[in-house]
Amino acid sequence: LTSDESGAAPASGLPLQQLIRGAARGDRAAFAALYTSTSAKLFGVALRILGQREWAEEALQESFVAIWQRAGDYDPARGSAMGWLATIVRHCAIDQRRRRGARPESRTAPEEALAAMAAPGAADTGAELGALQRCLDELDEQPRRAVLLAYCYGLTRDELAVQLGVPVGTVKSWLRRSLERLQKCLEG
Amino acid sequence: MRYDNPELREMLAAEYVLGTMPVRARRRFERLVAADAGLARMVGDWADRLSPLDAAAAAAPPARVWRAIESRIAREAAAPAPPTPQPAWFRALAFWRGLAVAASAATTALLLYVGLFAGRAPAPAVVAVLVGHGGEPGWVALTGPRPGEVSVSAVAPAAEAKPHAFELWGIAGAPPRPLGLLPQHSGDTLTLRAAQLPPPGGVLAVSLEPPGGSPSGAPTGPVLYQGKMIRLR
Repeated sequence: LTSDESGAAPASGLPLQQLIRGAARGDRAAFAALYTSTSAKLFGVALRILGQREWAEEALQESFVAIWQRAGDYDPARGSAMGWLATIVRHCAIDQRRRRGARPESRTAPEEALAAMAAPGAADTGAELGALQRCLDELDEQPRRAVLLAYCYGLTRDELAVQLGVPVGTVKSWLRRSLERLQKCLEG
Repeated sequence: MRYDNPELREMLAAEYVLGTMPVRARRRFERLVAADAGLARMVGDWADRLSPLDAAAAAAPPARVWRAIESRIAREAAAPAPPTPQPAWFRALAFWRGLAVAASAATTALLLYVGLFAGRAPAPAVVAVLVGHGGEPGWVALTGPRPGEVSVSAVAPAAEAKPHAFELWGIAGAPPRPLGLLPQHSGDTLTLRAAQLPPPGGVLAVSLEPPGGSPSGAPTGPVLYQGKMIRLR
């Protein structure tokens, strides 16, 4: 991504962690570089959940203002910088989705999305995605869909129940069991 | 709900990252994460476990998004004291840091206040000042009345909690430790042994709890006041 596309600054090549630390000190150039390095991915994350560019833009804006204000709270000992940023953006988008009462209509099936991720050149997380995908493949069909629809599209438990045609209680236990199995599989 | 069961903690962290927690449960969980480094690490681990699913998500945002962010940041820099309401999900993550500044101002004021008592011997020393989100002091912890003791006194008529209770917690890295219910009338005091308190740099926090205090041994309500430990003896 170049500066022309994002409107912020050229990517700096510095580790994200360092850019966040810079932002915490009030360094706007570091913050601009952080935006340039991560905004395409994070906008993609928000767009996948919200389904509308306009809403996703708003979520991205709200998220980055919060990131600027709270950069000092990021602690590298508690997980990767990208994980922290994505968690902020996803929750912001999920909140907005619930607020707007968006419906999960005509979403790309998560299996398709997964296939697209595994495509050649789908980023340097290929190996990790491979491991996660193997572990997801070990789950039963319906529970796996529940996990993917929740993570990728921000569906609530109630929406998952409707979409998958089962009671909410079943959705809850699918999610719990699937997450337990994923953890075992990824650590095993 | 109990938050000291390791499997339950792990599952809550996972569901938080997955995004399927109902809103109220999520707010409660975020308050816990803000005060519990172990739980925060679990959240980070889950974010990293699932983040490969974001690999395919990519779409360039239009340049106007960055311009909007920049101008909001510039506005804040020009006019500090940002009254911009933080989204709740972020407020929780941000809790400890935000009050540090307010706390130092309140501390200075109270140090002056305490200085008025310097004629009495031995003069009580400030251990911590507990301030609310607006920076208003609610309680002050002072050394005494006997050696090795610390008393926590209400300094202003705190917002009435009844029938609920204000519970005091000591935080030093590990999960918060309950220290007792706080008095709500100006001048009333809770006396503790100094050894019960976290070391300097640790934090005292006050949460709103059901009558009689948290049933679980961990904070269940919002944290309304907090202060850094300045010294112990």
